[in-house]
Amino acid sequence: MVLSMSTDGRATAIGHLDADCFYVSAERVRDEFLIGKPVGVLGNQGACVIAKSYEMKAQGVRTGEPIWDAMAKCPDGIYIKRDFRWYEELSRMMLDLMRDASRQVEYYSIDEFFFRAEPGRGETFEGLAASLRDRIQERVGVPVTVGIARTRTLAKLISDASKPHGARAVLEPAAEEELLAGLPVTEITGIAGRRAERLSAWGITTCLHLARADRALVRRLLTASGEALWWEINGDPVQAIQCRRPAHKTLSRGGSLGESTDDPVILYGWLVRNVERLIEELRYHQVAAGRIKVIVLYKTGHSGLGQRSLAVPSDRFDVLLEAARPCLRQAWMRGATASHMHLIADGLAPRGQAALAYFDPPGRRLRAEAVADVKERINVKVGRFAVRSAATLYLPAIYADAANSYDICDVRDKMCF
Amino acid sequence: MCVGISLAWSELPTELIGRYGLERRLHERGGEREVRFLYRDRQPRLPVWRNGRLQVVRWGNGGRQSRFLPATGWTWQETVDQGYWRTVGAVRVEIPATLGYDRGVWFRIRQGVRGILVPDERGIAVAYMICVPSTHYYQVMTRSPRMPLLIDERI
Repeated sequence: MVLSMSTDGRATAIGHLDADCFYVSAERVRDEFLIGKPVGVLGNQGACVIAKSYEMKAQGVRTGEPIWDAMAKCPDGIYIKRDFRWYEELSRMMLDLMRDASRQVEYYSIDEFFFRAEPGRGETFEGLAASLRDRIQERVGVPVTVGIARTRTLAKLISDASKPHGARAVLEPAAEEELLAGLPVTEITGIAGRRAERLSAWGITTCLHLARADRALVRRLLTASGEALWWEINGDPVQAIQCRRPAHKTLSRGGSLGESTDDPVILYGWLVRNVERLIEELRYHQVAAGRIKVIVLYKTGHSGLGQRSLAVPSDRFDVLLEAARPCLRQAWMRGATASHMHLIADGLAPRGQAALAYFDPPGRRLRAEAVADVKERINVKVGRFAVRSAATLYLPAIYADAANSYDICDVRDKMCF
Repeated sequence: MCVGISLAWSELPTELIGRYGLERRLHERGGEREVRFLYRDRQPRLPVWRNGRLQVVRWGNGGRQSRFLPATGWTWQETVDQGYWRTVGAVRVEIPATLGYDRGVWFRIRQGVRGILVPDERGIAVAYMICVPSTHYYQVMTRSPRMPLLIDERI
């Protein structure tokens, strides 16, 4: 067994902690009535199950399934409206506990953490996994599963295979081999769909097949990122724990429109809402957008794309909306019913370091910046969207529900969505 | 339209269970017993809190037992606010519930639902559930244009 050593000579490995059906568990923390019952948490519009309890899973309900399909499979299921503010609160509590327990912690997602596993004197890795699991359960009330291994990919495979409420350390090559042999290759994060098909053509269907495959072949089939996974499942840690999120290359806002629409006025309302949310994110990260893309998905399966580069990177409402409007026109299909819209900013540049645009009169710029500052200050003090563009008045139902003012993407600093 | 509610068995006094024969309405969900009050029952009933006492009363007038009460189990909040019910001696009540049921969807209710209690021509108490237009979320979730008026809660 080859384990890393910390500077003080202690053996270290990588751990992965994953909450069990997190949104449901979070609801159960504040509502004991739900314990032991089939529970589904519904997404932003109330149409899809975004998390389900093990009791509901046992009835065949899958994540992402529309509620009417879930109802047919699980007629006694109880459906709950999501509350991302509450989920974030518990997530941050778990993060704090993890930071107390480890010197290196990566906030991977709202319910997943990677960490450097360093057992105390006389403690085993298995014991460390169990004590972390129990501590989170006791202090936060959320059941979690912990896996510890030589690499993060192995650690995640172990925790996924030990759910629910498991605590397991697998560090011996023979035990790793046994684990990998029993898992389909699609269990590895980053291998699905086309990548799995490519591997399948070479007879690679289990994780062990992949580990035993020729490295050069894996690189040819899955590129450098696939090769990194190959090293990882062979016990060589090549993916580091990232304690701070690297700078974003793109920022985006958007998603489902709730009720599908072919009304261009409603679509414009959504565009303005997404521009305002994107600007909040740009300002938080202190960057300006160099290019704007608008993607509209239609119920027919078609999608429309509009994009435009800005003369100078900007985070100003008037400039971004002026750029986004023709993008929407480009992405819009007359008569087609749209279901989703995404607004993406890329070509990000540090805020305030861009050259001033030739055709942007200083008076106009100063006025727009002053308005943006006032708007931001009022919204921080009074509440998000207290001051917003009048174009969003086309979406009264969305703004009438306070739960719509906080989404999963508003939980910041995590590595993945 | 919310066509049913459920109340945890543990929240009902034993005396009440016996008096109203609630065992017939007993169901089990996740190993826990609950009493279901559905409008489609042959004898639809609702639990209500009145003057600090929990009672089980007739739900609406779907069976047209009364000649002057509306033949339904619900009333709009607007109608109540306009005072329509005051003239027939209605009082506001709270309907305790742990779950609501609408078009096949069971949803959590934290406290209960608002209702009114009105006597029919024979003096029998009849409860109506107060409803409001559905919020966007509720409408997508249940596909129902009306939702119950929940106590201090919004879905």
